[in-house]
Amino acid sequence: MRPDEVFFKIEKQFKDYGSRARQLHKEGRKIIGYVCSFVPLEMIAASGAIPFRVRGSIQEPITLGDTLLETIVCPYYRSCFDLSIKGRYEFLSGLVIPHACDSMVRSYSVWSYSLPYSYFHFVNVPTVCEESSFEFFEEELKNFKKSLERFTGKSIQDEDLSKAIQLYNKNRDKIRALYELRKNDPPLISGTELTMALTAGSGLPIDESNEWFDQVIAAVKGRGGSPLSKGPRILIDGACIDHIELVKLVEELGGNVVADTICNGARDSFPKTEESKDPIQALSRRYLDKLNCPKTYRANKAGTFEGDIANRFGDIGTYAREFRVEGAILYVYKYCDPFGFEVPARKAYYQSIQVPMLHLEDTYSAGNLGQLRTRIQAFLEMISR
Amino acid sequence: MTSYVAGIDIGSTMTKVVILKDGLITSIIGPTGPEQRRLANKVMEEALKKASLPFSEIMYIVSTGYGRMNVPFSDRQITEITCHARGVNYLIPEARTIIDIGGQDSKGIKIDRSGKVLDFVMNDKCAAGSGRFIEVIADTLGISLKDVGELSLQSRNPAKISNICTIWAQQEVAASLAQGVKISDLLAGVHFSLAERIGRMVSRLKIEKAIVVTGGGGRNKGLLHALSEVLGERLTVPEEPLITGALGAALIAREIVEESKKNRIDLKTKERRLEEVEIL
Repeated sequence: MRPDEVFFKIEKQFKDYGSRARQLHKEGRKIIGYVCSFVPLEMIAASGAIPFRVRGSIQEPITLGDTLLETIVCPYYRSCFDLSIKGRYEFLSGLVIPHACDSMVRSYSVWSYSLPYSYFHFVNVPTVCEESSFEFFEEELKNFKKSLERFTGKSIQDEDLSKAIQLYNKNRDKIRALYELRKNDPPLISGTELTMALTAGSGLPIDESNEWFDQVIAAVKGRGGSPLSKGPRILIDGACIDHIELVKLVEELGGNVVADTICNGARDSFPKTEESKDPIQALSRRYLDKLNCPKTYRANKAGTFEGDIANRFGDIGTYAREFRVEGAILYVYKYCDPFGFEVPARKAYYQSIQVPMLHLEDTYSAGNLGQLRTRIQAFLEMISR
Repeated sequence: MTSYVAGIDIGSTMTKVVILKDGLITSIIGPTGPEQRRLANKVMEEALKKASLPFSEIMYIVSTGYGRMNVPFSDRQITEITCHARGVNYLIPEARTIIDIGGQDSKGIKIDRSGKVLDFVMNDKCAAGSGRFIEVIADTLGISLKDVGELSLQSRNPAKISNICTIWAQQEVAASLAQGVKISDLLAGVHFSLAERIGRMVSRLKIEKAIVVTGGGGRNKGLLHALSEVLGERLTVPEEPLITGALGAALIAREIVEESKKNRIDLKTKERRLEEVEIL
């Protein structure tokens, strides 16, 4: 495919998110929805079902969802729920929700009795990360396995799991390769394009997703040159940002989005699963320890505040160096507890690595995003070379 | 060759224009209003008349403020945060913290000795921390906006206004008025409530002296008194606190012109035409 055809397809696939899953559902495949980075997708894929990330929509006002969920739940998660009960994901056969943030834990029951799916599972992910937690989580993973086996009628062998782990690792390698193309100045792929490509990829079965990223990488390399002109290199720090409006706004105002820590970006795609280990053990390590999310409590082993923030947010510093970041935007949804609680500590960390940071709070609504324009523009003016 | 540059600051309530030639400043202030937002050209025309200049003499125009996108004749848009920093630095070089209290929002800006922005904060997408709050209350009390400051200074016992939301505070003030609370006490209470809200926001910046107040808030003596009490610091106000954004925009415009002369690059400017803005 020619590069321009691939870029057209990226936009189309982003807009028609879920169309491939719908088609596969019609062909008789079981599609299992999930939210958050903490659901071990390898397990779902090994069962023969297809994991599908449930997204919200910043364009669509939350209506029906608010008759069943209180607004204390964060607007992103409420939007995911709103679209689900409006039937946007009617092709799903089941739904898996992990024990991640409080919004997910407390509203799980509402999801399970409001939606018509025949399979629900809650993955009990520990909130701390100690030796005993891994032991517990391995048992939880075995429970998840049994529950999937009951639902699909297929027993999951170690080989199935190992094969799925390899496929997902390959996917992460490809996404990493795509991120490498952001290291140019200006980057060879815009943040808007990358976000759309990643989102499109997350709606496909893993083998198709791997092919998809091969096409995207080839197109970016084949295009030669950047779609952006040089500007301040920005890292986006936050939870799941499954819309492109923020990144688009930053790039419209002259910034280059070159790195992130977000769930549907680096947080999810950079850590790999060890292939030489027992698969259950390896998955427990990856999901519990390697995913760096504020929902996990990590004991202060350094004994000092400086040491603690360096341990907790060290990946930000690594990305900042690697991608030559000149400024960061910490984008937090209103009522997002895990990120909201951490804002002061993150601020202190950015100060310690001398990266200017802009903290934005948003309501996950396209109409309101324009109000952030002045802040973003002023921040870009402040850090401009 | 003499070169004139201009800055135009379209705020939510007022539109400000500054025309610069060497060190000479001509400024004009007019209302933005709901209808006038598309009439940025009118304020510009007035400023040109005052400076006795034809529009074609202006080499470069920078627009700023809330309505900076709605100025078809501007060559560049820069946020009011950067522009206030430059304008205040020009007038008061020792300024390190700026508190801009505008019609629909308020901001805190930290700057260095050269007028570069180091950090900033803005109030949350709501009129509660802005001049509009005082406007609404003045309206409720039937008092002209220009009198509220002086009147509030007569208070010996400022009322406690507990509501942050402008609409609820309006009801609270109306209820207190019915109970016989003095107008001066109510106004002082309103000013303290606003000052506390702004003070809390700006304090996140680790305030450094000198502190300069700009925007319409800088003209309100009652608010300045309350803010100074809340922060425990002395405040400085430029002679005309409304024009610092437009002045900064003009200064940046001048810098761009000089830069292009020095490097002998062509100035990228728009076609010079003053006309009404077409907006929906």
